[in-house]
Amino acid sequence: MADAIPIPVPSRVQASPVDRISAEAISIPWYIWSCLVAVLSSVVGGAWDISWHESVGRDTFWTPAHMLIYLCGVLSGISCGYLILSTTFRKDSPLRASSISMWSFRGPMGAFICAWGGVAMITSAPFDNWWHEAYGLDVKILSPPHVLLALGMLAIRFGTLVMVLSELNRAHGAYRAKLERLLFFVFTFLMGMTLGIAQEYTGRVLMHGASFYVVVMLIAPIWLAAVATASKHPWAATIMTAMYTAVHFAFTWLLPLVPAEPKLGPVYQKITHLVPPDFPLLLIVPAIVFDLTRRATANWNRWAQAVTLAAAFLASFAAVQWPFADFLMSPAARNWFFAADNYPYFVPPASPWVRNVFVPTEPTLTAFWVRMATALLVGALMTLIGLAWGDWMRRIRR
Amino acid sequence: MRRFSLPATFLFLLAVVPAHAHVGSPDVFCEGNAGPYHLFVTIRVPQVIPGVAEIQVHTESPDIRTVQVVPLRLTGPGSNFPPTPDLATSSKDDPQFFTASLWLMEWGALQVRILVDGPQGKGELSVPVPSFAQRTMPMQKSLGALLLVLMLVLSVGVISIVGACVREGNLEPSEIPAPRNKRAAKWVMAASAVAVLAILYLARAWWGLEAQNFQRRVDFYKSPVAQATLVNGNRLVIRAKHENPRWYDYVKMEELLPDHDHLMHLFLIRSPGLDSMWHLHPDRMADGTFAEDLPAMPEGRYEIFADIVDKRGYPWTLVGSIDMPQINGKLTPGDDSSWSGAPLSASPGNSTISQLSGGGRIVWQCASAPLKANVPLEFKFSVQEEHGNPAQDMQPYMGMAGHAEFVRSDFSVFAHLHPAGSVSMAALELAQTGLPASSPMQAPMPMPMPAATVPISPEVRFPYGFPQPGDYRIFLQIKHSGRIDTGVFDARVQ
Repeated sequence: MADAIPIPVPSRVQASPVDRISAEAISIPWYIWSCLVAVLSSVVGGAWDISWHESVGRDTFWTPAHMLIYLCGVLSGISCGYLILSTTFRKDSPLRASSISMWSFRGPMGAFICAWGGVAMITSAPFDNWWHEAYGLDVKILSPPHVLLALGMLAIRFGTLVMVLSELNRAHGAYRAKLERLLFFVFTFLMGMTLGIAQEYTGRVLMHGASFYVVVMLIAPIWLAAVATASKHPWAATIMTAMYTAVHFAFTWLLPLVPAEPKLGPVYQKITHLVPPDFPLLLIVPAIVFDLTRRATANWNRWAQAVTLAAAFLASFAAVQWPFADFLMSPAARNWFFAADNYPYFVPPASPWVRNVFVPTEPTLTAFWVRMATALLVGALMTLIGLAWGDWMRRIRR
Repeated sequence: MRRFSLPATFLFLLAVVPAHAHVGSPDVFCEGNAGPYHLFVTIRVPQVIPGVAEIQVHTESPDIRTVQVVPLRLTGPGSNFPPTPDLATSSKDDPQFFTASLWLMEWGALQVRILVDGPQGKGELSVPVPSFAQRTMPMQKSLGALLLVLMLVLSVGVISIVGACVREGNLEPSEIPAPRNKRAAKWVMAASAVAVLAILYLARAWWGLEAQNFQRRVDFYKSPVAQATLVNGNRLVIRAKHENPRWYDYVKMEELLPDHDHLMHLFLIRSPGLDSMWHLHPDRMADGTFAEDLPAMPEGRYEIFADIVDKRGYPWTLVGSIDMPQINGKLTPGDDSSWSGAPLSASPGNSTISQLSGGGRIVWQCASAPLKANVPLEFKFSVQEEHGNPAQDMQPYMGMAGHAEFVRSDFSVFAHLHPAGSVSMAALELAQTGLPASSPMQAPMPMPMPAATVPISPEVRFPYGFPQPGDYRIFLQIKHSGRIDTGVFDARVQ
């Protein structure tokens, strides 16, 4: 039994683990840095890969974007594998006391999650290859093998988050502040990835439909609630969303600086540079409202708090995103800043996206309001889950 | 005499054949000019779309510098902006032979543009390509086993991780899990197992849905059924029938393109034996059917192949069959033609000489080596007068030197060819209109001949490759001295 493995307890940890961490481990452990680099690698690789598919189209195993994605798996796999093996087999490993046991192995909780992510990424490769042979190369984000790959990448990000949290929850002072910054960093890319996976349902042509709000409420509030609860920072949701927006801006403005032309056809849009992602959603506004509301409702019952937070989020988000969608459809948004005139090479000119017209997703006004109510309900539920999840994250020690 | 259940309807096949224009013969063979350079192009379309097409280009000129290939839509948006072309590789053994792999990303009517550069400057040839998936590839057993094992590892792994997290994740360093933690972990693992099973079930359902959608697209591009009805004893009415109702919005009969003068080329071939063949051209009726009064025909079962081209340039072959009594009619003057003779089964192997009913003969200049499937070939036929001299009275038949139909003995392969190859003439014309005006050879090839005054060589050539082994019958149709003649050749393919 894994639980029966004797755990050598270093005397310094026994004395006062929290004190020891703040006093001695003032620098971030190497394995956290390694996983953070892996996360960053998959973030840049993922955004680049999507843009590559939209601009150049042709794909090989060796595209730079793919290399960065593989680097994520390799880096986290090697560091977490080493971490698990060294913690398991080195009886004097300093991590042994703060590790968990699984299948007779020991290691930090985050390392196991990252390792699972690596296996999922590896599994997705032959699955995706077969998928292309069976059904043709899919030019979309949401297919079963792609979702498995995304789950793997998400697991690596979440595992990294857990590693940061296990240190953060035992640290204080300057070290804690340092770790908190890393916490925001990882949360930013977790939310960014989930929003990225759903981007086929959050395009600007859908922004005047209630389905768009259901999707956003399904994704964003859980991260806002989780980061706010896990970090204790009064502006946690705002900081994370601001970082997300800044990173998104970087991709929106930098990718078009790289020349590119399609290598697959038919080509419907003339492409001269890498196609950037759409202008980011204006999540920063509901994030500020979320933080303010959270403070005002700090002592409320959890259910009431979740409903209020979701309502505040939804109302403030719709208030800014709805008119902003009108702006994005206008000629004034067709410039480098708002990037509303960038289309992948494969989008036909008759597409609503190119024609800048909204696609109705609900047939009647009643259906619209029913779905908006669903968005609120979904948002409340996800907020509740996020708050509980954040609570659990605060208790992570290993 | 066999009795038929007249009145109105004799019928009819109803099996959807897994192919499109041409039947069972998906690869494209085309011969034409890219500016000053004469090319023989073979395009092996991929099994799935998007997928990689294999392209072979054989040039007559020995000094070609480069050959590039690029895919576009045949018409409309997508036909204007070519992507970066792919450079074809020259063969080490044969400098006149080039190969390339090209991604075909979309279904429907595409074209592959061949760009040639040589000492006489640059030239382009556009080859229409009907792009459609032929089937869904099954998963290999070894891969299935590997993925199953990995799925089990991932499933059990996630349950174990969740359990370990609950059991120990919140404990202070060195703290031993209490029984309470262990109990909680077991409950959470049980719940996780249920969640994992639910996720796997949903994922399987999603996979099934994706596979179903793909199969629906595969079926969409299968040959529609030619639903044939005999009215008033000798009037054949053909209606296109497709299992997918959306096909009728996609292919509107009133928008069909004429393909060398006719909206439909109808072939009736008696089965078994292929001992009679009619090449007819029914008129389109107001209700979208095609109809023609049949000429005199012996009773029997006839296989139907009806070629049409939709407005995008995509060729379809309607496929069906009909049991018919003896028909007493007259052959419509014009382009309709017929042939009757010995059945295929009586003459296995290759036959290279076909005597024409009006005197003279056609000789197939067939190499002595056995014919092999999936090998691009040039079929050469010489039309000779009664005493063996080359025919001097050749005339264009529907604008071309000849028409050929390659039919497998079991009717699983049917290809209607012209000297330009297996491509539809209507699609080929659409493809050439997209070429830049500077291209010196806008109207290429040994195809649509503008006037009967142009002298026609008594040697007729067709580029083609048999798609599978078996016994084939080749019907070659030419026109001379105002008469349409059909030469028939049998071929055994290994």
